[in-house]
Amino acid sequence: MKLKSNIYYLALAVAGLFASCSKDFLDRAPLSEISTENFYQTTSDLKLATAALYAGSQWASWTYNSYLTIGDVMSGNMVLGYNDDAVQLNTFSVTGENGAVIANWGDMYKVIAHCNTTINSINEKTPESVPEADKNAALSEARFIRGYAYYNLALLWGDVPIIEDNNTLTTSPLVSLNLVNDVYQFVVNDLTFAAKNLPAAIGSDWERGRVTSWSAQGLLGKVYLSWSGLSGERNQALLDSAKLYAGNVCKYSGLELMDNYADLFKTANNYNDEALFALRWDPSVGGWLEGNMLQIYSSGGTEISADGQAGWFSIMPTYDMFLQYSADDTIRRKATFMLKGDYYAELNAAGGGFTYTGDAGLKKHIIGTKKDNNVSIMTLTSSAEHNALLRLADVYLVYAESILGNNETTTDADALLYFNKVRTRAGLETVVSLNADALLKERRIEFAAESQYWPDLVSLSYYNPQKAIDLLNGGERVNFSYSDGVATPGDPFGEITPATINSFKLPIPSSEITANPKLSKAPVPYSF
Amino acid sequence: MKLKSSVSIKWLHGGLRCLIVIVLMNLFVLPAFGQKISITGVVKSNADGTTLIGATIHIKGTTSGTITDQNGAYLLQVENGETLVFSYIGFEPQEIKVQGQKFIDITLKEDTKSVDEVVVIGYGSVKRKDVTGSVSSVGSDDIRQSQSVTIEQSLQGRIPGMVIQQVSGQPGGDVFVQIHGTTGFSASGPLYVLDGVELQGIASVGGGTNPLAGINPSDIESIDVLKDASATAIYGSKGTDGVIIITTKRGRIAPPKVEYQFSTGFQQLTKKLPVMNLREYATFVNERNAGWGWGFDTRPEFSNPKYLGKGTDWQDELFRNAPSSTHTLTVSGGDARTQYLLSGASQSEEGIALGSKFDRISFRLNLDNKTTDWLKIGTSLQLVNIDENKNSTNSSVIRSALEQTPDIEVTNADGSWGGSSSTVGWVAQKVNPYAIALINKDKVNRKQVFGNLYAEITFAKGLVLRNEAAINFSMATEDVYEPSYTMGNLEKLTSEGSSESKQGVYTSIKNYITYSHLFAAKYSLTAMAGHEASLEKSERLYASRTGYVSDNVNVIDGGDPTTAINEGSKDHKSSESYFGRLNVGINDKYLITGNIREDGSSMYAENNRWILSYSGAMAWKLNNENFLKGVSKVNELKLRLGYGLTNRQAGRDYVYTSTLATVPTGVSTTAQLTQNVGNPDLEWEQTKNSSIGLDGTFFNWRLNFAVDFYLKRTNGLAMQASLPMYSGTAIGYSPGSLDAPWVNVGSMENKGFDIRISTTNIKGKDFTWKTDMTISRNINKVLKLNTDGAPIMGDYSKTVVGRSVGDFYGYVVEGVFSSSVDVYGDEEKGIKPHARPSKNGEILLFANASGSIWYGDLMYKDMDGNGIIDENDQTYLGSPVPKVQLGLNNTFTYKNFDLNVFFNASIGNKVFNQLRVNAENPISSYGYFRSLSNYAKLALIDSEGSDSDPYNVYVTNSDTDIPGVRNDQTNENTRFSDKYIEDGSFVRCKNISLGYTFSENLLKMAHINSLRVFTSVTNAFIITKYSGMDPEIGSWDPTNAGIDNGFYPQSRRFTFGVNITLSK
Repeated sequence: MKLKSNIYYLALAVAGLFASCSKDFLDRAPLSEISTENFYQTTSDLKLATAALYAGSQWASWTYNSYLTIGDVMSGNMVLGYNDDAVQLNTFSVTGENGAVIANWGDMYKVIAHCNTTINSINEKTPESVPEADKNAALSEARFIRGYAYYNLALLWGDVPIIEDNNTLTTSPLVSLNLVNDVYQFVVNDLTFAAKNLPAAIGSDWERGRVTSWSAQGLLGKVYLSWSGLSGERNQALLDSAKLYAGNVCKYSGLELMDNYADLFKTANNYNDEALFALRWDPSVGGWLEGNMLQIYSSGGTEISADGQAGWFSIMPTYDMFLQYSADDTIRRKATFMLKGDYYAELNAAGGGFTYTGDAGLKKHIIGTKKDNNVSIMTLTSSAEHNALLRLADVYLVYAESILGNNETTTDADALLYFNKVRTRAGLETVVSLNADALLKERRIEFAAESQYWPDLVSLSYYNPQKAIDLLNGGERVNFSYSDGVATPGDPFGEITPATINSFKLPIPSSEITANPKLSKAPVPYSF
Repeated sequence: MKLKSSVSIKWLHGGLRCLIVIVLMNLFVLPAFGQKISITGVVKSNADGTTLIGATIHIKGTTSGTITDQNGAYLLQVENGETLVFSYIGFEPQEIKVQGQKFIDITLKEDTKSVDEVVVIGYGSVKRKDVTGSVSSVGSDDIRQSQSVTIEQSLQGRIPGMVIQQVSGQPGGDVFVQIHGTTGFSASGPLYVLDGVELQGIASVGGGTNPLAGINPSDIESIDVLKDASATAIYGSKGTDGVIIITTKRGRIAPPKVEYQFSTGFQQLTKKLPVMNLREYATFVNERNAGWGWGFDTRPEFSNPKYLGKGTDWQDELFRNAPSSTHTLTVSGGDARTQYLLSGASQSEEGIALGSKFDRISFRLNLDNKTTDWLKIGTSLQLVNIDENKNSTNSSVIRSALEQTPDIEVTNADGSWGGSSSTVGWVAQKVNPYAIALINKDKVNRKQVFGNLYAEITFAKGLVLRNEAAINFSMATEDVYEPSYTMGNLEKLTSEGSSESKQGVYTSIKNYITYSHLFAAKYSLTAMAGHEASLEKSERLYASRTGYVSDNVNVIDGGDPTTAINEGSKDHKSSESYFGRLNVGINDKYLITGNIREDGSSMYAENNRWILSYSGAMAWKLNNENFLKGVSKVNELKLRLGYGLTNRQAGRDYVYTSTLATVPTGVSTTAQLTQNVGNPDLEWEQTKNSSIGLDGTFFNWRLNFAVDFYLKRTNGLAMQASLPMYSGTAIGYSPGSLDAPWVNVGSMENKGFDIRISTTNIKGKDFTWKTDMTISRNINKVLKLNTDGAPIMGDYSKTVVGRSVGDFYGYVVEGVFSSSVDVYGDEEKGIKPHARPSKNGEILLFANASGSIWYGDLMYKDMDGNGIIDENDQTYLGSPVPKVQLGLNNTFTYKNFDLNVFFNASIGNKVFNQLRVNAENPISSYGYFRSLSNYAKLALIDSEGSDSDPYNVYVTNSDTDIPGVRNDQTNENTRFSDKYIEDGSFVRCKNISLGYTFSENLLKMAHINSLRVFTSVTNAFIITKYSGMDPEIGSWDPTNAGIDNGFYPQSRRFTFGVNITLSK
């Protein structure tokens, strides 16, 4: 090699050595997923973002672990053996290690985290080119769902931390409990915003299944009704608010109850008008804790299961629940619980229907095979059912109760009208006078296996604790055998310790207290 | 006669590239004056008499000389009276004065001191005696002796300051490697560099992949471990956890050599756990059924346990003596222009647990070509195919085998699989582990091509530019199939199958220029500067179906198409760096090294993308000072000082932003759900590292040691923030949670020392005895957490300020409630009632009823003395991190025999023996350990009295810590407590190997150059108090370490082998 060419080559090499790669060599944006940096830019983006809040894995664990166990097993509607968590709930020996309790706590906060992220991202990133109404509608959907989650937490735990921005937790994770009254105020704020900014009706561009202003007003009525008793006696101003919002829905929404109670729980009617807020499951999501897994509670066999795998848990009504049904209240009973000999034409329809041979089991949420539901993909862990968390019938009864308020009885025409609509649909006689006991019993039966009775009892315990305790201790929280129309109570799954006022507050999960000892300290006011 | 194979390995030691560089540096051609005479001759080895090709002959006091040719011959012009110096790597130099001879044949003596041993330090190499940082090395001899499947196992105990723990004992299984302590909360580990190429971007499926599993240990020439910042800073951000540089064997200037090695052997389980046999099990079940709350578990078949057999021993069913074999064929050689090495190997290894297997076929081509006098080119190419069966690990069959009860048959009389047919509903449905190991399939295939090409251009003497391009292609697939089955009551109705395929391509381009010069024969200078860029691309496809028509057709197409699920993703990341190094030597007494490196990474947000690392080190060779010159007992003595700052990239791709995944919902056809909380402010972890070391060689090279003290402070430790549930975030699998953000959470300190001492204890004519010892001690301490004082929670551990990472926290057991004094105290003696758990603020009742506490329940220590057992009574229970690690290697040779005995030890760590939680819980329905029969046994003081009167009941074996059989869990007797924490210290006889090398005379007749036979036992025995199978529990996650949940134990391995070398 000649010296000269040597030097050229060297110069070239050195130049090459220190010339950097092109400047964007280190710019490597995600290839498989959208980054939040480039999202929330159009109305369509916002709709995609809020659609994800209605179902999915953040709701799946709660639906599977807590929906029936806390709402219906703990309240004495149902019983479930061979499941330590459910037995603890049944016997009032709940600890901070209880799986259903941990799931409910964690899962509601998962829902909240997703809502917070959506709300904060829209506020930060959505450009002005998106119409204000669209932006507020999207914010309202997220705030509605967040409000629902905080309402659930307030009912089950009372004082809980209010988290509005999950990002701040990365630097200051140890928050305090906030006063339950502030939690209710927070819920009301969210729902009031939603009631104002959501479309009133399902318009052409408002997709079916999304919440509307009526959903928000209905829930607002319900929340006000619970909140009204928090101070120990029912606050008339809050009762009036409950009456106002629930009444709006009853009178002005134009929504009506479905004719047939049993039809409400069929997947063909997933988008029925009565479902003011339902979890919008997609049956193609079949992973563990990703879809609606309620069919796992089925006590039916493989012939009525989604894809050949039978349910595991055989949850069943308690003897006390069985006794609630009057002889003529069969429509709701049969649509909620199966008793020996019951025939269901819609289950395993291709095989000639299904006759139940066990003693008693759950019917609501048990929807049959893929063919029965006309879906191509469905497994035991991905039911096609959109289980409603707020129904029009609920708002009707909330309205009646808010009218009743602190009175012993009422004969108010509106109260009776909407109360009787619920009864008529169930094939029952109408009533001419209404009291609190009749309302609570109606609610218990109408919403059995819909995770309602426990919240109802908690709301009652605020202002009439002794009655709530008596209701828990009065009924036989045991299974029963059934033949020829006669039910015989069985033995308890464990010794049932008597409920006390403490029973109405779930323990905060132990791991949570270990991670943040502040949760065992006194609550603090929330700064709005 | 000498051991030929070890000689040949010593020749290789150091790598030929380095030899050439050194030769070139020595050959400054200066004009010579005076009358020249020509001298010729041949240079031979004293070991086997073969000629040495490429040996250097230079004239003393000058820089002129030559090297020997292919026949070992040389020709040199010298002046009469000058002295010739003959030298060759691995041999002692010899000097001959020219006094009129024309022919000088010379035989060089093998040099056992290896003073010229070369250490690869990244982007270059230095002589061992000139190293300024903390660097330890292992040669091919050590690797050969350890008879391991993957190479980290051969480093265990041999590199001071390095902790190596098996994460899974499955063949080719994961190994956890840590150098000078944990520097991170997230999984961290050293950088592996194979022949200059970083092992990055390797596709992995089926649970962690060991990046080194593709490398055939026989191909390794040496492994150099860079430990402190002064050594690692040249690798910048990637080197904080240490750098392990693997150099493979290369061809050398020598006649062709063919080497074949064969070994075969088998492995076995080292320890069976003491589980109850059927008689013991039945006796216990009967006793329990008489207890409170039971009575429903009557099993007529257990009515007379005496007549029962031993039942099924699931450990015997699952574990087996597993065969293994390896074949390696290596051809190497070369002339002055081209050197080559070609090797092919096949390794087949069954695991000791059914359903595990590791097969590897690997090829290697290493080629070096001196194209012109200014250009050298070459390549290293490795092709690997690995087939594994990971079913035993991924189906957790070892844990299942310990959980299954002895009353279950492996197969029923009708040939169907055994399983529980108990109608007692509470009995947990457990799989038949033997069946699962056989019928489930979990097959992993990995194909890898690692290659690099280099060109070295010499512009002028000492000025060399090296260009290197490397590419790693890798593909990995995993096929999983679980058929439908019936095992007693347990039915799996639908078969499930999935297939996952991943690809990775990692490319890197490196250019660096090195200038070396010796000024005034006193000042040596080596300066290096360079640039490097790499790009990593990966992609994944996954498909699954259920409802397969036949178990024989278990590819995806065989399943029900309506159940099809598919997933796919692509990723990419890149990095770019500038770096430089300066080495200065003065008078061969003072050495100074400086490193600097600027790294850029695509992982961070734009403002945090670039970071600077640097280090400096000094070494003082005391032995070259006048005051030690005459001291013959001191051969070498060197003091080293180093300081540096390195930066580690922690996090994951796109960590700075949140991403949204497409999910289906019932509202619209698809929706976008936020997946994680991003953190645009995440920064690099910064580690400041100071070290001081002393290397010495004494007594005619017979005692050699290295001591290193270090202090590392890491700031900005990054990890996924483990936040309370109310954050809605979680780490790892947690459907619906946002993936927790990565944050810089705190600071940590690691300080410690490590020592290596090598001695030649006896060096006789026929007998030698050498000892190598390593001692390592590391103290880890968390200095700061930016978490409001919240600890970092692991599953059973907490990381708190002032203690080391991942300490166990839980309850302390103080025995069982055994007498009324425990319950009510004794006022006269000042004994208070023992604390009990509470519910809703009220202490739980003491009664023989559900929802209350009773005799036989565990008493937990009331740490805060408030009379109530709750979360505040959890306390520190020990650390899973070993305090001290030791290695002791003894090598004996007697005539043609060589014997190697190697121990390693780990002292002071705690292990959570999680298997005991179920196996020692009387109200579980799992298989039990024998120890369970010591459950708390209740008796009545007055046998006529009430059995629910607390004053009438007591526990007869009050010293037990196993609760009674009462059917109630109110006391949560299985909560995490110190009763499950055991001392994990051990001394392991890691390896014993015995070899015999046949004598040369015998072999000559068979035209064989060398022949060695050997036999070895790996993991021969272990001394430990730990009650589980193996106390060595590795974990990738330092905040969740030391948990034994029935993991795959290390096996004992017997090997017999033979090594034959043929040459021209």
